[in-house]
Amino acid sequence: MDTATHMLRTGRRGALFEVNMALRDVRSSVQRLGLAWSLASHDVVSRYRGSILGPFWITLSMGLMVAGMGFLYARLFEISLHDFIPFVATGIVFFGAISGIINEGCDTFVHAAGMLSQTSLPMFTFLWRTVLRNLINLAHNFVIILGVLIYFGYWRSMNLPVAVLGLGLLVVNSAWVSMLAAIASARFRDVPQIVVSVMQFAMFMTPVFWVPGRLGRAHAILVFNPFYHMLEAVRAPLLGAQPDAHTYSFLALMAVVGWALTFTIFTRTRRRIVHYL
Amino acid sequence: MSHQVSISVSDLSIRFPVYGVDAKSLKKSLARVTVGGRLGLTLAGATEVTALSNVNVELRAGDRLGLIGHNGSGKTTLLRALSGAYEPDEGMIDVHGHIAALLDLGLGIDPSATGYDNIRLRGRIAGLSAKGIESRMDEIAEFTGLGPFLAMPVKTYSAGMQARLAFAAATAVEADVLLMDEWIAVGDADFQKLAHKRLLNLVERAGILVLASHDLDLLRLYCNKVMRLEGGVASPVTDIRKLAELMAA
Repeated sequence: MDTATHMLRTGRRGALFEVNMALRDVRSSVQRLGLAWSLASHDVVSRYRGSILGPFWITLSMGLMVAGMGFLYARLFEISLHDFIPFVATGIVFFGAISGIINEGCDTFVHAAGMLSQTSLPMFTFLWRTVLRNLINLAHNFVIILGVLIYFGYWRSMNLPVAVLGLGLLVVNSAWVSMLAAIASARFRDVPQIVVSVMQFAMFMTPVFWVPGRLGRAHAILVFNPFYHMLEAVRAPLLGAQPDAHTYSFLALMAVVGWALTFTIFTRTRRRIVHYL
Repeated sequence: MSHQVSISVSDLSIRFPVYGVDAKSLKKSLARVTVGGRLGLTLAGATEVTALSNVNVELRAGDRLGLIGHNGSGKTTLLRALSGAYEPDEGMIDVHGHIAALLDLGLGIDPSATGYDNIRLRGRIAGLSAKGIESRMDEIAEFTGLGPFLAMPVKTYSAGMQARLAFAAATAVEADVLLMDEWIAVGDADFQKLAHKRLLNLVERAGILVLASHDLDLLRLYCNKVMRLEGGVASPVTDIRKLAELMAA
């Protein structure tokens, strides 16, 4: 039990108070990141409880997908396995993380209805729960990437620190989209369907299984595709290349604008979210 | 610390926007009803239920407040507002002290997880640290009386066993402000006795108790003050000895 005097202050106290409350929500959710972690790991464990492989089903099914896609598309596109399999493995795994964070964002508050309606837990705790759950999944899938990168010899040329930076940008950007999806899905029950459709469409419009070189690097589908940049920021350094400066400026701008928008919407809807559910 | 425990509610109003209801069909039922709050229409056309209007409560350490009223009169809404889950549309709430809300025993119970895991999860939600839970685990486990069943998934439990687990986990917290929706002593006769004792213990340690109940004898037993809610409108906080007059009014 925390011994600090707990204090609850709510009420209509003006716009500034709303901003402070929203900030406080974020702050206390970060202070209680352990709770989000407990919930996230509980989610993963309970999903695979009773199965023999447990969470390594995530790894196995992703491995099958990578192998199938890798061999088939390498043949179709007439690219060598050495070039294509690491490309498609990183593509599927990291795009899976992006779409997992965003798609599951739709359930963030809907599934937490019981807890939200009788405790004063911070709202952001549930966003971190969704994000952390997907990072746990990602960690299981990373085994495949590691195996592929070692097998095809990319471990010599990969730039891990830059890839970690890229992963950070990927998470920061998917997280705000996830939060917006969470708020919108609580209010409008059509949103999850829309989000799933958009993410599916995005998967085919983004160079996950196809190589961007074939389209021409300056094509609008690449230049203005946020998913391409998120993916590129992690994938390129792992495959021994350097992401474009454009990718970094795009992601940085997207993070700043996106979080500003999300925080504004959160500030305005925070008190209402529990009633949406 | 308990000397600074207090609850201060002033001019509290809470309105629920109800989404996805045909607003037109509700226009006819604008009249005040005895069961439930008042229904109204906002400018946007979404239906709103006024669950609480202009509620004022001041409580100090040592106060045990009973809430009475019909179903839907706003008792649970008030408790949820005090727990911080619902935010006021008008007015203010200040609560000093650590709050424990025992509103729904099933909170955070995962049927496919073991009894131990559920105690851990519930404890984490209530604000205990992982270490704090482990240090209390033996005591909680003993209190449930479930023994080896705690290592089994909760879905294999009987309803009574589930209630024991939920009760033990939910009441493992210590709090300055205890919010209860009905006196939640559960289980068979033996366990009920234990549960009563444990709740009394909690109540004694808490600075303030707010208990919603329909049972007047219960309120007389545990509360020293009482407030009646009627369609979201609250009576003044009165002494428990005037309960009969309050009910007649």
